[in-house]
Amino acid sequence: MGACSVTLETLPRFPEGKELLTCLQCGVCSGTCPYGDVMEYPPRRMIAMMRAGLQEKVYTSDSLLACVACYACQVKCPRGIRLTEALLPLMKEQALTHLPELPGELQKALQSTLRYGNPMGEPSRKRAAWVKTAGVPIRILAEDPRPADVLWFVECYTSFYPRGQDNSRATARLFHRLGIDFAILGNEEKCAGECGRLTWEPGLFETLMDYNMAIFQKYRFDRVVTSCPHAHNAFKNRYPALGFNWGLEHTTPFLAQHLDRLKPLLTRKLNYTVTYHDSCCLGRQNEFYEPPRRLLKAIPGLKTVEMVHNRGNSICCGGGGGGMWLDTYFKAKGYERLSERRVKEAVATGADVLAVSCPYEVSRFEDALKVVGYDKRIVVRDVTELLAEAMEE
Amino acid sequence: MPGVALAREYKYMCSDPGQELIRQDIRDHGLDRIVVAACSPHLHEKTFRHAVAEAGLNPYYFHMVNLREHDSWVHADKPAAAAKAMDLIRAAVRRVRWHVPLERRQAPIHANALVVGGGIAGIDAALTLASAGKHVYLVEREPTIGGHMAQFDKTFPTLDCAACILTPKMTAVKSNPNITLWSYSEVRRVEGYVGNYDVEIRRKPRYIIEDLCVGCLECIQACVFKQAKVPDEFNLGLGKRKPVYIPFPQAVPQLVVIDPETCIEFKSGKCKKTCVEVCAERNAIDFKQKEKIENIRVGTIILATGFETFDPVRVPYYGYGLYPNVYTSLEVERLVNASGPTGGEIVLRDGRKPATVGIVHCVGSRDVNTNRYCSRVCCMYSLKLAHLIKEKTGAEVIEFYIDMRAPGKAFEEFYNRVAEEGVSFVRGKVADIYPAGNGDGRLILQAEDTLLGMVRKIPVDMVVLSVGLEPRPDANDVRRLFNIGCSGDGFFLERHPKLAPVSTFADGIFVAGCCQGPKDIPDTVAQSGAAAAQALALIDAGVIELEPNTAYVTEDACCGCKTCIPLCPYSAISFLEEKKARINEVLCKGCGTCVAACPSGSIRQNLFEDQQIFEEIGGILTYA
Repeated sequence: MGACSVTLETLPRFPEGKELLTCLQCGVCSGTCPYGDVMEYPPRRMIAMMRAGLQEKVYTSDSLLACVACYACQVKCPRGIRLTEALLPLMKEQALTHLPELPGELQKALQSTLRYGNPMGEPSRKRAAWVKTAGVPIRILAEDPRPADVLWFVECYTSFYPRGQDNSRATARLFHRLGIDFAILGNEEKCAGECGRLTWEPGLFETLMDYNMAIFQKYRFDRVVTSCPHAHNAFKNRYPALGFNWGLEHTTPFLAQHLDRLKPLLTRKLNYTVTYHDSCCLGRQNEFYEPPRRLLKAIPGLKTVEMVHNRGNSICCGGGGGGMWLDTYFKAKGYERLSERRVKEAVATGADVLAVSCPYEVSRFEDALKVVGYDKRIVVRDVTELLAEAMEE
Repeated sequence: MPGVALAREYKYMCSDPGQELIRQDIRDHGLDRIVVAACSPHLHEKTFRHAVAEAGLNPYYFHMVNLREHDSWVHADKPAAAAKAMDLIRAAVRRVRWHVPLERRQAPIHANALVVGGGIAGIDAALTLASAGKHVYLVEREPTIGGHMAQFDKTFPTLDCAACILTPKMTAVKSNPNITLWSYSEVRRVEGYVGNYDVEIRRKPRYIIEDLCVGCLECIQACVFKQAKVPDEFNLGLGKRKPVYIPFPQAVPQLVVIDPETCIEFKSGKCKKTCVEVCAERNAIDFKQKEKIENIRVGTIILATGFETFDPVRVPYYGYGLYPNVYTSLEVERLVNASGPTGGEIVLRDGRKPATVGIVHCVGSRDVNTNRYCSRVCCMYSLKLAHLIKEKTGAEVIEFYIDMRAPGKAFEEFYNRVAEEGVSFVRGKVADIYPAGNGDGRLILQAEDTLLGMVRKIPVDMVVLSVGLEPRPDANDVRRLFNIGCSGDGFFLERHPKLAPVSTFADGIFVAGCCQGPKDIPDTVAQSGAAAAQALALIDAGVIELEPNTAYVTEDACCGCKTCIPLCPYSAISFLEEKKARINEVLCKGCGTCVAACPSGSIRQNLFEDQQIFEEIGGILTYA
């Protein structure tokens, strides 16, 4: 499928559309969907309705807003139907067009992304402000355009959100100690746009793609390493249509590749019991299940425990597909917040730390812990933060 | 067209009148070469060669143009396809002029048979061949024959006791003088060709001298292990056995086995050897026994190597191996069975009787993530297990299915019966299994009930995963050993799915049972009967006719470089110092690899002589 060339009408002509004809109607998609029991038309019915020519009924309902693009239905589908990659975003695009009014929070996030290059509406000239607090030198390409091995694509939450910056500072220290030749785009960087795409604002997504590609082409580097699994997803699956052909890594598996050199640096004992939450984009979409666990196990003193739902069966934090900005909307509808469902599982393991590797999750889980009153029992830390903590100066 | 004396158009040339037309034209017009452009040589080359021979002409003065696979089936553009047909006919006419008379050869066939695998398929095939007076070698990898069927409790849909109908057949194998049973043995090497296969069989040491053991089992009783401590393979680890054991009471042969991995004598050499004491003057225990190699020659081979059940660890979200109360269907067969590890009591690992049981269909079947095919037997055995569980425990049983497949004789009626007995059915593939979370040990089965259109979360005490059937993990090695093929799903490939369902692409090697694809016991037995009949038809004839399209060496030109020898897929080429390369005509299948590879051009092939090929190419390329 090209960048955004397929529409709901043309879908049946593409391989992704032909797959829909093979649907068994087994319902494993609806059964595994974290919102399968609240959607009026969960994925199985959506396909049945579409095959009967009744898709309009589906997208004039608000079922699709509950799709958090977590890939759970897609990985379990016995026919391999690319629900999360093809059908659901196309349906969602139509659903958004047919909504009398876009939920305010989401609308604001999308507008801010267009205007400022980040969904929080922070000024783009402050994107690299955190760099001064990193404690290690960070090269910004606009100031020093020499070629670099690694272009570190920091992304929005990790640039602006204070707890996200902890992740960035940790990553910078790790890169520095590992002697990685890295640089960032600084204020030139804009959101990669994956959540724009999954909430299906094709215009917004294409604008961001064009912008970021033009910036990439200004500089010389071998690979892109990003802290955001959503950006990783966009670079891996969407940007190649515009000529993105650099190497690509997410920070966590990238660090796991350097474990031999990293391990001797991890000298401080951390007597934590940690449970790791598999992010949807890193886990189900890319099957990076073991690298974060290998990193955690390399930390002296640290014990790991698993939640009931882990790896391919992990439960989404609820932030994908625009869910990040639909909490108010879900609450109004009376849906259980997925981040709350997830932290309850984390607390049930008895762990002290809920480890994550997606910048959305820190804010979502910390908030959820406060809401359910568990914020004294467990803390949320990015894997990179734990690694940096274990690394004595 | 140059060289054509007579051209005819006739709608059904393969029919009797069509063939008669050819015969008559040969006689009336003195034709000495025949070309038929129709259909496919796959179907009718034999028919027309026969007709030509009946008119007194050498059958190899005939050539057939394949208008089906080479033309009409593969082109959509009709005028272009018609032009291509003309080219193909011109090529055939030019080639057939250069045909020379050839004779079919005969090869003798050895009358003995080898059956590999001692499950119900192998047992049945061996008994059929033996009752026709043929000598059969039955080779089984495990210490006993019986296969999976011996592990089943009842059989669907009649609820016959599996052991009651199987063990008489097992005993019949043992007592049949025409059957040599080698259990605990494996085929290691296969050489030769149809009618004359030389097979090497490795007989693993069971540390028991077969001729001396009387099957009294006193050694098991006397073993220094007072308690059975080793997971018992026959009961899938649900029970325990001792290092000296017999897989199950009705095992055939009735011989014990010593497992060197766990036997103290093997591990330390310091055992009191109470087993040897009790065996006394029978003296059947031999700790120094070595593996034994047997070499046999057989005319035909039947492969009945069976299947393996799907390992549900590969579907992690079903929690098998993680939650103790998730079982496979085969494990439940053993739990239900009166001679099983619980004496037929259906109890959970903690000893509780389940009050609610969920049966999950299609585990490892009908799924791109595991196996795409339907395993055919799971719906029916799930219904059977539901019936047995309900009968024995009174538990509430819920079947989670996608489509209920009950297409056999009395199958639908059985489905109806089980429904009447009160088993519940939820149409939906189970999406998740996880603990209820309130500490009562129950598991939640989460699935969309697609008929109700709602997601259901049903707590159960016991989960039964209806696991599918898979090829044996070493199916690919076995395939190579016997030089046969596998289909995309990994099961052994039959020569034709409809018209040669038990033959393979290796002449004289037949398949029966689940090694060819998942099937139930009735189908397996029907297939093993068919395989036995095919094998019998082959060896009973005593000789086999072989096609003459073989390669041959013109010895003067052979430089002795041996390039051809490793290339031959049929090991048909040998090297003689004085005569150089020599091709065994019986082994040669006429694939042409050596002909193409020979650097000196000294290997040629009947029906594919250079002149014939060049004329054919010339005919195609001629602009008409």
